[in-house]
Amino acid sequence: MKQQFEIPVGAQHISLLEPLHFKLTTENETIVDADANLYYVHRGIENACVTKFKYRQVPLVVGRVCGLCSVSHGTAAAQVIEKLTKVEIPLRAKYLRMLVIELDRIHSHLLCLAHVAENSGFEALFMQTMRDREYSMELLESVCGNRVQYDYSIVGGVNRDLRPDVAADIKTKLALLKPRVQALHEVFETNWSLSLKNKGVGAISKELAMKLNAVGPLARAAGVPIDVRNETEDLLPWKELGFEMILDTAGDVYARNMVRIKELYVAFRIIDNILNGLPEGDIANISKALPEGEAIVRVEAPRGELMHYARGNKTNVLERLKIKAPTFSNVGAMVEIFKGNQYASAPAIIASYDPCLSCTAR
Amino acid sequence: MFELKKFRKKSPWILHFNAGGCNGCDIEILACLAPKYDIERFGMINTGNPKQSDILLITGPVTKRTRERLVEVYNQMPEPKVVVCCGSCASTGGIFRGMYNIEGGVDQFIPVDVYVAGCACRPEQIIDGVVVALGILEEKTKEIEKTIKLANKPVVEEDGQVNRRNMPAELTYETTV
Repeated sequence: MKQQFEIPVGAQHISLLEPLHFKLTTENETIVDADANLYYVHRGIENACVTKFKYRQVPLVVGRVCGLCSVSHGTAAAQVIEKLTKVEIPLRAKYLRMLVIELDRIHSHLLCLAHVAENSGFEALFMQTMRDREYSMELLESVCGNRVQYDYSIVGGVNRDLRPDVAADIKTKLALLKPRVQALHEVFETNWSLSLKNKGVGAISKELAMKLNAVGPLARAAGVPIDVRNETEDLLPWKELGFEMILDTAGDVYARNMVRIKELYVAFRIIDNILNGLPEGDIANISKALPEGEAIVRVEAPRGELMHYARGNKTNVLERLKIKAPTFSNVGAMVEIFKGNQYASAPAIIASYDPCLSCTAR
Repeated sequence: MFELKKFRKKSPWILHFNAGGCNGCDIEILACLAPKYDIERFGMINTGNPKQSDILLITGPVTKRTRERLVEVYNQMPEPKVVVCCGSCASTGGIFRGMYNIEGGVDQFIPVDVYVAGCACRPEQIIDGVVVALGILEEKTKEIEKTIKLANKPVVEEDGQVNRRNMPAELTYETTV
């Protein structure tokens, strides 16, 4: 047996946004074993949601679980409480929720692509991707009023209407963003030096991804057809707005990039359809019913399937709230993918998972 | 000799540490490094090494598991150093205040110079806070360049013997001209 070394990545590292710790065991340059240590950012939000906050405040609190997919968390919590209080929300509110979820997906996927480019050593592509991402941030600000924490979904609907000038602004800015995303697509697809760091690196097979319960772009890049938008129709009508599942077969970093970029096109199409077919009506249906019973809601966050479970007992405070974050499902696959790759590829592989540890640890 | 105190202000390197936040302020710091806000025009580069950095940007409330890492990273930074808290929860604990795994704001563990408000703080606010931090960095640079002298002069006794036995251990700081 060759000599083995243990190399830690994290908890504070230049290529990581958040504290996570991977302990990589290497033989020469090859990673033979990996160990993940993720729960640095555990805050106790689930406990606080059932002790400190009333059920109407819960969507705003769980938005602070994660800054990247805060609207997915807020919408899931609002939907699960609507199920408990048996409130039917207006169709316009559903469309506006989907609009913000898709805008959020654009900014999150572009951030992930930029991060992969940076960790692969392609600083110029990082800068270009981040420049194009600012369009989606401006749109989110004009729709919701804040750049990162939107607090858009409330129990019973949304808290801001879409003004006609903002809708026109979305159309003009997306028309500017689409050709830029096409240019980025070409670079990510054909650039030779990027392909050296991405093609065939960090690959996972379809069988292994299914066995380890991977979700989101990580699973779809391996060919596993798993997407909540394809499976649920009762809460948000995705399919009638032009949703289409993006699949790839290779399962490596390159395939994950391609899946994310192609999902951007789907997001553009859904946003166009929402703006063209936005129904008139109220934006919220506020009732005074108290939550009772238990319910589960699934939402497709940018990183995969997000599940919220809640139980109420006819009081102002929920009895239990449980969040299952997408990254939590992916941890098994994340550790497995490292094995057999070069140590120098580790930052790019970590970035291509798009890990969200504040979702996982809460 | 290099005139370090002159050039330190022109290229302060920043170290980013997430003490347990929601990533919201972190992606705004990343947006600061990107072309639209471009914090590099102040000479700032994001480094991963505490030993090369001058400004510590902290996001998020301190959790029970990151507090040791936070103090460790702070101790590894060389003087002069400035600490900037980004966001409400790094300043006071914010919405997470009182949760069972939260210790509170960053200032309970290390001295903080600049507080940036907002949830999440906007890139403009971060740039503003960092530029304020540059002034503090310059002040701290002047502080450690001061010469020090013993406060009391030794007593010369009658036989010419210098007596330092009753010398109180005090120093005075004088500004260099």
